[in-house]
Amino acid sequence: MTDSSQAISVTPSPAAEARKARAFDALTSQSSLLLGVLVILIIVFTILEPKFFSVATASNILTDWGSIVLIAVGQAFVIISGGIDLSVGAVIGLSGVVAAWTMANVLGLDQTVKGQDAWGGLLVGAAVSVGVGLLVGLINAFLINVLKIVPFIATLSTMGAALGLSVVISQGAPIGSANDFALISSFSPQWNPLSPALVVVIVVVTVLGLYLHKARVGLYTYAIGSNAFAARAAGINVARHLTWVYALSGALAGLAGIYVYIRLGAGSPSSGTGRELDAIAAVVIGGVSLMGGIGRLPGVVIGALILFTVQSGLIMIGVEPDWKKVVVAVLIAAAVAAQVLRKSDGRS
Amino acid sequence: MTNTVIYEAHDVSKSYGSVKALTGASLRLHAGEVVGLVGDNGAGKSTLVKVLSGAHQPTSGRLELDGVEHVWGSPREALEAGIETLYQDSSLAPHLTVSQNLFLGREVMSPGILGKLGFLARRRMEKEAHDDLERVGIAVPASSRPVSALSGGQRQAVAIGRAVSWARKVIILDEPTNHLGARQAGEVLNVIRAAKAKGLGVIFISHTLPHVLEVTDRIVVLRLGRIVRDAPTSEFTPDSLIAAITGSADSEPTTDA
Amino acid sequence: MKTPFRTVAVVGALAAASIAITGCTTTETGGEPAVEEISIAFVMGAESDPFFQAMKVGAEEEAAAQGVELIWQGDPANYSAETQIPIVDAVLAQQPDALVLIPTDPVALQASVDKAVAAGIVVANVDTRVDDLSNVLTFITGDNTDGGAKAADALAAKIGYEEGGSYEVVVGLTSPTATTNVGRLDGFTAQIEAEYPGIAIVDVAYSESNPEKAATNVNNWLTKYPGLDGIFAIDGTNASGAAAALEAKGLVGTVGLVGYDAYPDNVAKIESGIFTALIAQDPAEEARLAIRTIVEFIRTGATSTPAEVVIPNVTLDANTSAADLAKYTYVAN
Repeated sequence: MTDSSQAISVTPSPAAEARKARAFDALTSQSSLLLGVLVILIIVFTILEPKFFSVATASNILTDWGSIVLIAVGQAFVIISGGIDLSVGAVIGLSGVVAAWTMANVLGLDQTVKGQDAWGGLLVGAAVSVGVGLLVGLINAFLINVLKIVPFIATLSTMGAALGLSVVISQGAPIGSANDFALISSFSPQWNPLSPALVVVIVVVTVLGLYLHKARVGLYTYAIGSNAFAARAAGINVARHLTWVYALSGALAGLAGIYVYIRLGAGSPSSGTGRELDAIAAVVIGGVSLMGGIGRLPGVVIGALILFTVQSGLIMIGVEPDWKKVVVAVLIAAAVAAQVLRKSDGRS
Repeated sequence: MTNTVIYEAHDVSKSYGSVKALTGASLRLHAGEVVGLVGDNGAGKSTLVKVLSGAHQPTSGRLELDGVEHVWGSPREALEAGIETLYQDSSLAPHLTVSQNLFLGREVMSPGILGKLGFLARRRMEKEAHDDLERVGIAVPASSRPVSALSGGQRQAVAIGRAVSWARKVIILDEPTNHLGARQAGEVLNVIRAAKAKGLGVIFISHTLPHVLEVTDRIVVLRLGRIVRDAPTSEFTPDSLIAAITGSADSEPTTDA
Repeated sequence: MKTPFRTVAVVGALAAASIAITGCTTTETGGEPAVEEISIAFVMGAESDPFFQAMKVGAEEEAAAQGVELIWQGDPANYSAETQIPIVDAVLAQQPDALVLIPTDPVALQASVDKAVAAGIVVANVDTRVDDLSNVLTFITGDNTDGGAKAADALAAKIGYEEGGSYEVVVGLTSPTATTNVGRLDGFTAQIEAEYPGIAIVDVAYSESNPEKAATNVNNWLTKYPGLDGIFAIDGTNASGAAAALEAKGLVGTVGLVGYDAYPDNVAKIESGIFTALIAQDPAEEARLAIRTIVEFIRTGATSTPAEVVIPNVTLDANTSAADLAKYTYVAN
């Protein structure tokens, strides 16, 4: 290529090309890598405890996965956009408590209302729960966009406020109300580990995955997390888009709130304790960079699955639960290390 | 170059609090003309660029695009009116692909109901990105590759390609040859020539004076917030240009091109 | 400039958050002032725990009955010495006549107790104690070890224990270090070894104060031990999670469940057969006795209450009268 040429060529040398192709492959194969880890975990746990390999275990893992994957997906949007949302765990508690309080005190339903009789009340509870989450998300967006508080501090303060409020409303105790436990139980324990509530979760996650990877909102989320300056220069309304992202994260935490309510038959202020860390762990294991701009939802979904496979496996083999924290820590370190390696490989 | 004035600044001043960053700057840009903007750090170059690109509003003075007065409320408004600005280094999102960057803010939506639901026409944008870049003289093998996988020069080429392919009237390039090797910088200058041939007005800001002397039709020198020289490039030698920038020689009165 | 507004707004937001978190209240009780006003500071463990909510009800009742001022304080959610010590210091600065303290750590709170005593403040311990009780007027507590033994009895009865049979039970705990957990588990284990040798405690796991995790533990046990006979849920959180897990799996009645703490929502589940029994403490009575003792001591210079009082835990089950159920349920104001 000489200066006289009119065309700027960005065709790299063959060696660089091969290196880049490898880097590109590594980027796209994050999910398959995680699937490999998942399969290995399942094999190891099955060897140590044959009963682990069962539909019942799958159902246990998926039931746990259901609430966390919702907030993990919200967290993925937030982290890819360059932020963080620490309030999601507390919002699970608050939204569940407010939903239960509404069902018990406004609709007058107590815990003796069961089965299909509870559906109407649960629908109202779901709307209230998602509404509460949405509201907290909008408050987060306000603190971040208007008051310019960094996301870590903004969502830390709403986390405290949500926790405090849920304790005040519930006076610390679970509030029981109408419920249909069939919604969280397997359709057919023989072969199908899914429950109606899980089907809703899977549909929501799938739709959001399509939006993150195929739609404009997703593109803007990546663009802002990758380079907010460039996003702004390209004419993207960054504040408006971030509002959307935090509102989504809040609403998903609200949805997780009613999911946990259905699971427990009660709204409890402590039902989301520490869950924001589970969500962040799932997101990081799933290959999302805490720096923003990087990560794919399938990885997050499998990351959350790995988290609860480890949890169930360790309970099943009767290992001290503290080991779960060690295993998760190792997984997170491995995921981050893989990210760093990929990054240095991707740059020439 | 035609004689059509495309973008004009009249007596523009800009103060930040009590600091006067720019005083009485007037600038005229013709279609198909490349104007170089030079000056030391703090001479007011970036302030003038921000005013021209709509990022900041002038304290006094006015801007005319195609003879119509405009007050830019945001860079977006200037963008929509046909003024593209390429800021140094930071105008691309590294994790997005070449085509995503090229179409950022102006995405092509899927046809039909999917587009209404917010879904993008990815393949079409990749194809068009490739064609657009080729049209302005940049050959990118895979527009589906993330920008972070490109070299610094390649990224700059994409950034300029993006600006040139979208610009309808004016393109402002802030230090586009910064951090580039000689060959890559030469390629960037070729893209500027392509933009000129396309009939765009180009404002080229650079510290690299040989590049300015090589590619521009006219050079505007800023010093201490004022335009101290505005003359055809042919009137400058490297030495006289440095003298004008530093003020070591008495500068001639401002001339109009 | 935007900055001052922003600062104000940030401070405002944080203040709002802290107000929401802080559930502390100062209650002025006693319509007509007593001859000499007695003020009693009451520093408990964590406002979010219904146990302390019930304790608060008892304390307020007794303070009103005795015509004394009650200063009720404690961390909104964290049961920890780090948060409790500054609260105790702040309360002592108000120079109350007496301090009722639920020490969150027997060693860490010793200095606070000594400081209060040195300032001439009468100190009582409730529920938990400091190491050195020599300067403490009285220590009133529920008997967690006895409660654990009662749970073993209730669970054995539910699973129809017979000599020579073999049974599997599990215990849901909150954390390996919570002192109430330890006492209850000790009592439970000792009673099983002594009276029900055919019962094996096959597993324990921790819920980390999250009822959903408690449910997860039970789900996994049910998979691992298909013939599981019973569950001892060691506190209110574990009780809630275990009850939900059994309901969701349709195993209510098949697997025996004995819980702890009389959360209103759980008490209602005794009637529906989800809980075989709930072991309840009587926090309200602990608080009433502490205040009664202090007032007596300040007014007369002596008290009939012993230096250590153990209030037995009670077993709530299907045979418990409605009146007793209502009495022992942890009800907040």
